[in-house]
Parts: sequence; structure tokens; C-alpha cells
Amino acid sequence: MSWELHNVAIIGGGMMGRSIATKVAQEGLNVCLKEISNETVETSRAELEQSLDHEIARFGLTNSEKKAILSRIRWVTQFDCAADCDLAIETVQEEFGLKRRILRELDRRMIEDHPIVINTSTLSITELAAQNSCPERIVGMHFLYPVTTTRVVEVIRGQLTSDEVYDRAVEFARLLGKVPIKVFEMPGFVTTRVVLPLVNEAIYTVMEGVAEAADVDLAVKLGFNFTMGPLEWADRTGLDRVLNWMKYIHQESGEPRFRPCPMLKRLVRAGLHGAKTGQGFFTYDANRRRTDRLPDDKPRLA
Amino acid sequence: MKILVLNSGSSSVKFQVIETDLERMNAHEDRTLATGQVEKIGLDDSRLVLKVPGRKPYVDYREILEHRAAIEWALRILADPEHGILSEVDDIGAVGHRVVHGGEAFASSVVITPEVVQEIEECSALAPLHNPPNLRGYYAAHAALPEVPHIAVFDTAFHQTMPPHSFLYGIPFQLYTKHSLRKYGFHGTSHRYVAFRGSQILDWDKDEKKLITVHLGNGCSLAAIDHGKSVDTSMGFTPLEGLLMGTRTGDMDPAIVPWLMAMEELTLHQVNTMMNKHSGLYGVSGVSSDMREIIEARADGHQRADVAFRMFCYRVKKYIGAYAAAMGGVDAVFFTGGIGENSPEVREWALSGLEYMGIELDTKANAKTTGGEGEITKRSSRVKVLVVPTNEEKTIARDVVRVLNGIMPTFEPPETIS
Repeated sequence: MSWELHNVAIIGGGMMGRSIATKVAQEGLNVCLKEISNETVETSRAELEQSLDHEIARFGLTNSEKKAILSRIRWVTQFDCAADCDLAIETVQEEFGLKRRILRELDRRMIEDHPIVINTSTLSITELAAQNSCPERIVGMHFLYPVTTTRVVEVIRGQLTSDEVYDRAVEFARLLGKVPIKVFEMPGFVTTRVVLPLVNEAIYTVMEGVAEAADVDLAVKLGFNFTMGPLEWADRTGLDRVLNWMKYIHQESGEPRFRPCPMLKRLVRAGLHGAKTGQGFFTYDANRRRTDRLPDDKPRLA
Repeated sequence: MKILVLNSGSSSVKFQVIETDLERMNAHEDRTLATGQVEKIGLDDSRLVLKVPGRKPYVDYREILEHRAAIEWALRILADPEHGILSEVDDIGAVGHRVVHGGEAFASSVVITPEVVQEIEECSALAPLHNPPNLRGYYAAHAALPEVPHIAVFDTAFHQTMPPHSFLYGIPFQLYTKHSLRKYGFHGTSHRYVAFRGSQILDWDKDEKKLITVHLGNGCSLAAIDHGKSVDTSMGFTPLEGLLMGTRTGDMDPAIVPWLMAMEELTLHQVNTMMNKHSGLYGVSGVSSDMREIIEARADGHQRADVAFRMFCYRVKKYIGAYAAAMGGVDAVFFTGGIGENSPEVREWALSGLEYMGIELDTKANAKTTGGEGEITKRSSRVKVLVVPTNEEKTIARDVVRVLNGIMPTFEPPETIS
């Protein structure tokens, strides 16, 4: 049977769901974005519009493009919209039980060979799929935030993923203008697995008093031409999420190099979760702009 | 002969059926039988509009997912007994395709062969948004009409006569040889038609005159046409260079780009969109990219709309002066394009103060010339200024006839350089 990609269901209108929805709509596909309630729909819609306005202010988008994007996104509160969709992506929290429930809801409604995509940084595609009636249609895609600009997506093949579904996920990635990195299932895949030890080591460096957090970050940022240092990256990702990933990978792999630094645990326990709470390794204003940049940490021409 | 002219964009196909041949061309009696377009290709509410002179426009909607279906749909309607103008699709004797970028490979219109297709594909790196859909249109039309000749007409070909001192940029020469980084210019089909038609109206031999053609539309460019050959044009490697446009910057100091990227921490995409979509009349005025709205706003005392209007006209004037200097004089200036044909205000401002070089505007004639051909300078004016509505489709149809009769001119550069 021929499969064409026109309608995409996205489950979860949080930061990642909105970012994926924006990108998918930008490429001319229709999106139905499922949220829990009418209130969360309103919040999700308002925040998506706000991020489009922000991009307009940065010249990356025009008003008419914003209109076109919004016209292709339909917010819903029921799973039924997935029935007409050629592909569905779940983007809810990294919680095994929750994701499993959502997969079931999608599986029941969608045409048999239409891919169901799990967006996860760490969880096992195979394990989630195995508890489903059609495990071969389940495939993982690890999008990186912000989805509108990052050029890469990891496409994760679970043990039971069919070749056909996997190829469709790769095709979807290409359609979004992304470079698909084909990976087999392993905790953390490539990107998360590689970045977490870097972040962890940066935190140890601070904890051991080798240098101040700002200096650690600036050294790595300027030294390796990164757009931001590992600590700011962790702050912006959310220290609670970073900690959860580390715990998970540590537990799965048993490798001591993934053991979360005690300082990270301390910050999370104190409720300092990074940019979203205004304080992590650094401080942020309500628009998540850093307020404590060092004088040397500014753009210059040469 | 009935010729199908196609202009295939990424999500639309514009088409015309033009009846012409050598005799009709010489008598200026080419006839447009129908014009139309299929819009929103790739969506489930694609729209087809067909306009036949003397009839009400025909509009239809359906799901059209790619160019092939769009062109099949257009052909079916063209041959429809009730709405169409052909008794059968096979009445079409040839197809002319607009192709945006021909690079340095094409200095003329050509019959499309597999080799030509390959060369057009190679030019896609220079026009990634335009050449691929142009080619998709060709593949689709070729599948529907495999027996008839298909001819490619390039926007860039006419400007290939520019000499190296005009088309090179002052950057390291190896970047030209490595990336073909040079000025190509665009709107070539329009500049060529307008130069031809303007000269015809004046009863001049264009090959003996020095002309400046001013195309002011969505995109804006001028061409200096010396004895029938384009010797300079204001658009460059891309259509961003030159005049201020609706949303494009036109000329600016290239140092602004890295400076802004560093200071505002803009990405490549953001700075590119800034220059192409957030600038020009729109970016300066904050009002609109549409010249009509700019003119209304400045009449209401809107300062930034006024300065945007002045910038627009000033740059046109500056280029007219530059091209007169480049050619050692000018015999006529021809205005065309949506703004060039319909805005007496822009023409008046752009030409003001040019009496010293022999341009004496007839303000009355200027004010009343909108949407049609007309001379807008006084009888005594040494340099003639005309409004000449452009007709790119007609030029494409005529090129089909020229190519098929072996009389298509080529626009080779005067010298090669390596």
C-alpha cells in the first residue's frame, strides 16, 4: 500500500511538541497537536505563538509565514485525530508508563502500517514497543531542541521495528530538512550519551573548585567554538531532566562514568532546575536570558 | 502554432497558450488564447484558475500533490469542450519552459535534451529555490506531451553578454572559478522583450541604440543595453543585489552581514531571511512591501514610508546615471513591471533632475500612463522615456518559434577569461 505523508499527529504540546509541530507545519504538513485539556491547549497555543513572534523579531520568520504555520496546526484534546494521520509522534515526559499508555491509544486508532514515533532521549524503544499489538510500527526519533534549527535527528531502530517503518521515519526526517543519524537502540543513543559525561565532568570541575562555573563554561565554549558551554546547556535543558537521563543511563549501563555528580543532585533537590526556574549554575530572567554573563562572554568580530 | 508556456514554481504552475509563428511575430500579432495557474500544489485544496479572453474565469479545486498532476489537470481543462480552448491536447505544437538559472552554460534558449537537463541540474546549486521546480515542471510536461519539442528559456541568458569587468566581483579570482561566483543578473526575458518592444514603438533599430530598461515589480532590476547587448544589470549572483525592493535590501555594505551575525548572534538563516524578507520598502517603512500602500502612507504623512519611497526612487536614479555613464550616453529609458508600469510617482521621482542628461519628463503624459504603453517625455526630450508593459510569456513563446526555425540569437560574452 502506498504511504504518503500529509497529516502528522503530535501527542503533547509541551516545549518539544510545539517545536516539532512548528517545524512540521513549516514544511507544509498538517499537524494535530493533542493536549490534555482546553486550558493546556490555550497555554500551548499561546506559547507557540510567542516563540514564532520571537523568531520574527530575530528575522528568521515573516508574519505571513507565521500565519501559514498556525493555519496548519490544529489543537485537540482527544486521541481521535490520530485516525487520519499518516504518522504520529509522542512527546510527553520521559515516563515509561505514560508513554506506554499513549502508544496503546495511538495503536488502536491508526492504520496498521503508519509509523508511531517515540521521541525520547533515553528510554528503550524495544521495551515500549514490545507491550504493543504492532511493535514493528514503533520507531524512535530523538529530536533536539529547538527542532526548527537543529539539523540533526537520531532515528532509532528498536529490536522489532520493521524496515518499512524505519525507512518512513528516515524519509520523514529528510522531509523536515534534517540529517537522520541511524542508530540502534542503546541508552542515550549518540547525542545524549556523548554530551552527558561532558556536562558531568564540567560539574565535577566546579565542585572540585578548579574554576568558577562561569569560567568553566567560557573556557569550553570559546575553546571548542561551541555556541554555549556545557553548564549553560544543562541549565537550558533543565537540570532535573539532565539528572534523570544520567540516572537512567547509569542504571542501564552500570558504567561509573555516567554516575551523576553529587553537585547536580544537590541543585535539583534545592529546586534550582536551570533557566526555567531562573537559577541553575547561572541566573536567568523571565525570558530565559542569562543575567550574569562575564564581560568576556560577548560576541565580537575578530 | 499553439505554444504552451510554463512557469513552474515550488507550489504553483503558471501557464499560457499563445498562438504565434514567424509571420505573426513580425506583424506583432501573437495571440494569447488562455492564461491560467494551478496554485497550492502539494495540498488538498489546490486551485486551478483559467482565464480565456471574453469569458468568465473558470475556477476549480481539488487535491493536487505534485507537478505532474497539476500539468495534467491544466491540459485537461485546456482541452475541455466547455471551458477549454483546444480541440485536443495534441493541438499544442511545442512547450516553452521558463528556467531561472542557466549559469554560464546557457547564453540562449535551447531545445531541452537529456544533456540540457543535466546542465540545468548543475545550475541548481546557484538557484536552489527555482531550478528544481522548473525541472519538475519540465519532467511533468514532457511526460504529458512526449512528442513535441520542449524549449528552455533562461532568465540569465540575455545578460551573458556582459563583459568580465562588469560581471566579476572584486573577490579572489579563484572563488569565481571554483564556485562560478559572479554577477548573472535576472529578469533577462523581461529586459529583452522591453528593449525590443520599446525600440519597435519608437521605430528604432535596437541594435543601434543605448537603452536602459527598468523593471520595477516584486523584484526590481535595471539593465544597460548597448547596441542590443546587455552590458550590465543591477541584480547579481542572486536577485538580492541592486535596487531596493519590496522586502529585499538591494545594495549594501557586505561587512554588515558578519557584523550583524556577530553582534546580534544571528544564524545564517536569520540573516538571510532578514535581507530577503524583512528589508526593502517593508523593512524601512514598517508599513508594507507594496508600493501603492507606501504611496498612500506617505500622503498621510508617514515619515518612514516617505523615506522608503525616496530611497527606492533615488536608487533607480543612481543606476540610470551609472548606466548612462557606463554606455557613454543613453537614447531611451523604458519602464516596466508592476510599479514601473503603474506608478507615475515613482517614475517622476526617479527621473527628476535628469534634464542635464537630456531627460525632459512630460508630467501630464506620465500621470496618465498607467497599465499600457506610452511615451512620457516631451517631444523636445533628447532621451526618450517610455512605459512598456512586459510580457515574458510572449517572449518565451517567440523563443520557441525562433529556436525551432534556427534563428535564435545567442548572447555570448565578448571575451572569456580563465
